Amino acid sequence: MSAVWKKIVADLFHRRWITFLVTCTVIVSAALLTLALSTLLNLSGPYDKLFDELNSAHLWLHFKPYRVSSMDIRRIEALPGVVDSTDVQYSYFSQVTISNETRAWVDLRVIPLEPPNVHSLKVIAGRYLLPGKDEILIEKYAADTYHVAVGDMIEVTREDNTKAALPVIGIAYDPMYDTYRSNQLPSLFVSQDTFRSQFPDQDTWVWSVGLRLADPEAVDEVLDEIESMRSSEFVDTHTDWRDAKESAVFSVQLTFAFLSAFSIFAIFATILIVVSVVSSMVLSQIRQIGILKAIGFTGNQVSLLYVGQYAIISLVGAGLGFILGLILAPLPLQTITASLGTTYYPPFSFLLMGLVFLIIPGTNILAAWAAARRGAKANVIRSIATGAESPLQKPFWGTRFIEYLGAPMTIVMGFNDTFAKPIRAILTGLNLTLGVIGIVFGLTLSGTLQTYRENPALLGIVYDAFVTRQDSSDGRAQRILSQAPGVQAFYGEYRLRVKTLDGEEFLLRAVEGELSAFPFYIPEGRFFYLDTNEAIVGRGLLDWLDLEIGDSLTLTLAENDRRTETWTIVGVYPEPADAGQRMIVPLSSVLALDRHAASESYYLKVDQNVDLLKLRKYIEPDKDTDLTLTLVEEAIPSSVIFLQLAIFMLGGILVAIAVVNVFIMSLLSTQEKIRVVGILKTIGMIPFQVVVMIITSAGVLGMLAVLIGIPAGLLLTRVLLTTLSNAFGFGLVSVSVNVLVIIFLIPIIISISLLGSLIPARWASRISIVRVLRQE
Amino acid sequence: MTTLVKVTELEKVYQTGEIKFQALRGISLEIQAGDFVAIMGESGSGKSTLLHVIGGLDQPTSGSVWMAGQQLDKMNETELARFRRSEIGFVFQFFNLIENLTVRANVELPALLEDQLKKKEIRRRSEELLERLGISDQANKHPWELSGGQQQRVAIARAFINFPTLLLADEPTGNLDTSSGDEVLDILKDFNQGGQTTLMVTHAASAAKLANYVLFIRDGLIVDRMPGGNEKAIARRLIDLRQRGS
Repeated sequence: MSAVWKKIVADLFHRRWITFLVTCTVIVSAALLTLALSTLLNLSGPYDKLFDELNSAHLWLHFKPYRVSSMDIRRIEALPGVVDSTDVQYSYFSQVTISNETRAWVDLRVIPLEPPNVHSLKVIAGRYLLPGKDEILIEKYAADTYHVAVGDMIEVTREDNTKAALPVIGIAYDPMYDTYRSNQLPSLFVSQDTFRSQFPDQDTWVWSVGLRLADPEAVDEVLDEIESMRSSEFVDTHTDWRDAKESAVFSVQLTFAFLSAFSIFAIFATILIVVSVVSSMVLSQIRQIGILKAIGFTGNQVSLLYVGQYAIISLVGAGLGFILGLILAPLPLQTITASLGTTYYPPFSFLLMGLVFLIIPGTNILAAWAAARRGAKANVIRSIATGAESPLQKPFWGTRFIEYLGAPMTIVMGFNDTFAKPIRAILTGLNLTLGVIGIVFGLTLSGTLQTYRENPALLGIVYDAFVTRQDSSDGRAQRILSQAPGVQAFYGEYRLRVKTLDGEEFLLRAVEGELSAFPFYIPEGRFFYLDTNEAIVGRGLLDWLDLEIGDSLTLTLAENDRRTETWTIVGVYPEPADAGQRMIVPLSSVLALDRHAASESYYLKVDQNVDLLKLRKYIEPDKDTDLTLTLVEEAIPSSVIFLQLAIFMLGGILVAIAVVNVFIMSLLSTQEKIRVVGILKTIGMIPFQVVVMIITSAGVLGMLAVLIGIPAGLLLTRVLLTTLSNAFGFGLVSVSVNVLVIIFLIPIIISISLLGSLIPARWASRISIVRVLRQE
Repeated sequence: MTTLVKVTELEKVYQTGEIKFQALRGISLEIQAGDFVAIMGESGSGKSTLLHVIGGLDQPTSGSVWMAGQQLDKMNETELARFRRSEIGFVFQFFNLIENLTVRANVELPALLEDQLKKKEIRRRSEELLERLGISDQANKHPWELSGGQQQRVAIARAFINFPTLLLADEPTGNLDTSSGDEVLDILKDFNQGGQTTLMVTHAASAAKLANYVLFIRDGLIVDRMPGGNEKAIARRLIDLRQRGS
């Protein structure tokens, strides 16, 4: 045992550069794994953390006017499943004018002046409300939608239609604001005093209450109990924290798909890197294993020797890599945290640490053990004579071919060296290929993101602006829009809540107008024909209801199931809302369900150089106009830059690992064939030719890595993104890549590979022939 | 007769840390074109070092080496490699063939490193040499498939592919049985009779007897010289030297 230990220490310290480089590889691999696992384990972490921090309510109840009393509220709060409540909150649905131009319907809500114990808000800009001041705190989603900044003025319409202008003093995030609930108005928060002064008539107030539950998953049970409390229904709507979370999470669905793809790839890459590096390192020492066996080491002692070495290296590497990974962990999640207006540092977790310390040292030890067992089983004489593998007796056909083409002898020899020991070449090549796959992966993800940013139609956003109406008739709205300056085309939409015969409810979008002018992206099937009962659906709806293109779906109104109507699904579109659980049909086809169906919102395609002020003035000529124009912002937020950074970081790490590995392998293989280099120099090979011969081997590996890595990277990205985006209900992702960048990658990777072997090559070119010959 | 090699006051010192070892202590000698010179001496006497310095494999600490009108100790590594390739052929005790190349490829290798030579010409030369050395039927085999004697013939063929001015042989029979060793020596003698200048380091009086003259080295100095031809006399002189040295 002490002999084995002495040899372990001697190996680690004698070849300290190799030990250092392998340890660096393990550190980087462990960091990558930590990064990938912490991302995967914490995708919904930022939301959960914020929800906990704000002690948010699990269930919000919005009551019907005049139907609820204080006694009812107290009875609800006293239910066994309820642990705390926000107390009654009052609100008023008001039309407001934002910055003198945008008008919208909002939910003006009262909040306490002191942040409450239950369901406080996260102020992300400006400040919280102060006593004695009439001012507004605006919810983040409303601020984003209407481009409201702190300092803007919002004009509130009172009951008597008079106006009051209030300053926006802050922007707050409300984790229970369900961004995709069609019936939830944007929220503005005011103090009780401000509310009472603007809306003194208490009869017009809407009551709601937020509840913290003992078991957050028991929302439905608590809701059943509440609804069974009274003979008549008094709850108008409710918000389930799980729906709000799903909405918040769904708003970053593409980010989720990309981050998950990134993490899964990184995990596999890490394992493959560790296995290939350790295996090739051990295999390069088979000659030493032969000598050890010759002097009396048993097979088990040989295995123990290498397992011991790599256990030490991997434990040190995993520890340092874990710390490095934790430091870098917030970066990939920045995209999510930025969109939630929060910060998030993935917490230290024993599960994460356990996984990293299981996978990294585990794969190190297993790879070392397997390679050492293989070496220990080899014939002693053969091991000492030829090392890990006897060189192939016949030159590789490619070698003969380039020789036939008249390539210089040094290049032919370098080429042949690559294939003389194929197992080693495969292991080194595998690492380089992973680097290429990583870069292609990063470039493809980045290219795809860019495509989606440039073409929001791929995300289901096919319009430039939309207009909503309140009191105006559909006919009037359409008349105005058809004459509006700069409007190329528009289509109208009417939304209905419908349910299947099994009772599954979702939102139906009934559309009419110049649909062919809009670039609807239909990755599967086709668009519906007008005046038919055909439908296109979001991928999420298909998966939820277990349907396929060609299937029929019979629906009734959610509130009234007397009439039914059946549609045939003819295509899938990328529905950006409700986890893809929506459906679009021709407006004419819903008249059988709802004979009053008429467009309520209108989606516009405008000229590229449209005069927006002129357009707005035309649609909203004065403050009393009930038509409201809203422009569409970028579909993918600029915070996606963090995701791109993370992806390129992954590519960079993989390439760095590959370069280090090429360096290690070149160094080891040069050390192994130092005698041959000595002979070649003796018979007249000049130093430059030695360098060319050695870097040719690395160059060939680089070329092969590019040839295999580029198509593999493209395929992997496509498969991973498609699988994950389907899993998130997003539907098919249109994967894009810049071909020129990929072509440019070829010389870069080959150069990187050549660079990795340059130092060993230069070292070999300078070796003393006499010293090599004397070693015989 | 013209002087092919001229060595003047050659010194070579090896240093490992604080420890210095003087392998050559001011050797001077001249070798004429067409000579067959044997160098004998005990292990560590400096004979191989002398061969390496003359062959441009190692640089002297002081002194000069001239060969074919060129001063080797002033050349850089690349110039030395080119010089070795064109002017010197090496034959070693352990053959030093490249294992993953065939016999033919091994023989042709020094010529192929010279980009100006045409492949057809190189092939013609290699076939001629393999034929002359009796191993043309082994051309497509790999070194490990050959006997020691055959491997040494391949090494000799490789040494002659570029028509070297000087052949340097370091214990060429040291790793061979007597019969194979004799065959190798016959080949070297045969080439020498064709005008090939040869410098051979050997322990064996039976090999040294083929030389025109024998140089005896001890402690980095040439201490004696005698004509070749008489194996017993050479052996006796070697024993005398050992006894004087001890």
